[in-house]
Amino acid sequence: MTVDMSKGGDRAAEAPAPVDPRVRRRSRSAVARSAGGDRWLTVLIGLVLLLAGVGVALLSYGVFGAGRASRPLLDPIMLDIVAAEPLLWRSVAIVGGVLLAVFGLTWVARSVRPEPRPDVVLNGGADTTIRVSSAAAGEAVASQAETLPGVARARARLVGSAAAPALRVTLWLADDADVRAVLARLHDEVLATARASLDLRALPVAVRLELERPQPTPRVA
Amino acid sequence: MRAVLRVLAPLLGIVLATLGVLVVIEVVAAWVLPEQEGGLLVPWPEWGRVLAGLYWNDILVRGTAIGVGVVGLLLVLVALTARRADLRLVAPSDDMTVTTSPRVLARLVGTRVRASDDVLSASVTASERRVAVTAQAWDDAPDELRETLVDRVQELLTELPLRRTPRVAVSVQEREGVR
Repeated sequence: MTVDMSKGGDRAAEAPAPVDPRVRRRSRSAVARSAGGDRWLTVLIGLVLLLAGVGVALLSYGVFGAGRASRPLLDPIMLDIVAAEPLLWRSVAIVGGVLLAVFGLTWVARSVRPEPRPDVVLNGGADTTIRVSSAAAGEAVASQAETLPGVARARARLVGSAAAPALRVTLWLADDADVRAVLARLHDEVLATARASLDLRALPVAVRLELERPQPTPRVA
Repeated sequence: MRAVLRVLAPLLGIVLATLGVLVVIEVVAAWVLPEQEGGLLVPWPEWGRVLAGLYWNDILVRGTAIGVGVVGLLLVLVALTARRADLRLVAPSDDMTVTTSPRVLARLVGTRVRASDDVLSASVTASERRVAVTAQAWDDAPDELRETLVDRVQELLTELPLRRTPRVAVSVQEREGVR
């Protein structure tokens, strides 16, 4: 029997397994609820209004010709074009209106919808399914995180979808907490236990660090 | 600005949806009820008559266009500034993302700076790129107080596993009077 005593072999054994880039992205997405869709749609609408306003102002000041600036808003030429094909323009208006209404309602629904809190389903055997609720999993992680030295309070919740859950943890640290040590113990003890308990091979985690407010000292002893 | 966007986004969606529904209702009403005088919900024939009497170079049109442009610019600014100003920290593994807020960093720096006996008070602003400290010192404070404070803040920033170490700027103002 031969034993490999080389240092390179040890290093290879200790090296952490490479993390899937998708898992890395999910951990970044779990930091907070994304406002990306709202932001880009608002930018789009803002740009449309800005360009329309600037265009009409330039037209009004005669940049595109004094003749154009002195024409009526409801130009007879345009009215004639619409009147020549009433069915076409009515259809265009109806389709445009329906699209606008559907788009607006979809945006409102996505914007006000609460963030999903997925439950984790464990395989308990052939005819058994164990469902761990999002709240129970979050409370378990938070209560274990609160036992770490330097952590005053903790809150955790599952986010993302049921197929690809992620964990969002908020830690309120004491002023004298060793941040590196807290993060290392959170990773090695709390999150390792959570992954094993929930039977999840990959559980991306987003950790938010806050400082615990100092307790006010009583004015009268 | 993120809170403004959270309110603004559904409102914009409601405005667009209302606009779409009104267009559909009015066009269909004008189509199937040609004998109907005026609009069903919106007096658009009246609006049409007003618009027919306006010209592109009217003051009212210019003012409205400038107003619409300003509203558009404000929407763009609100949306672009609604980013999270988080500070990223080095995580123990790649499947973990660690963040904190500039407020937390400012509080840590403030506590460290105020711990000096020569500092009366301090205000701190922090971001991912820069930490600025304005400290009020007693008038008998040592001349090298500024350098001492810079070292203390640098030491704190080294202790924190920040992904990007911000620049440190410290200014010291002397306060007249006895300690």
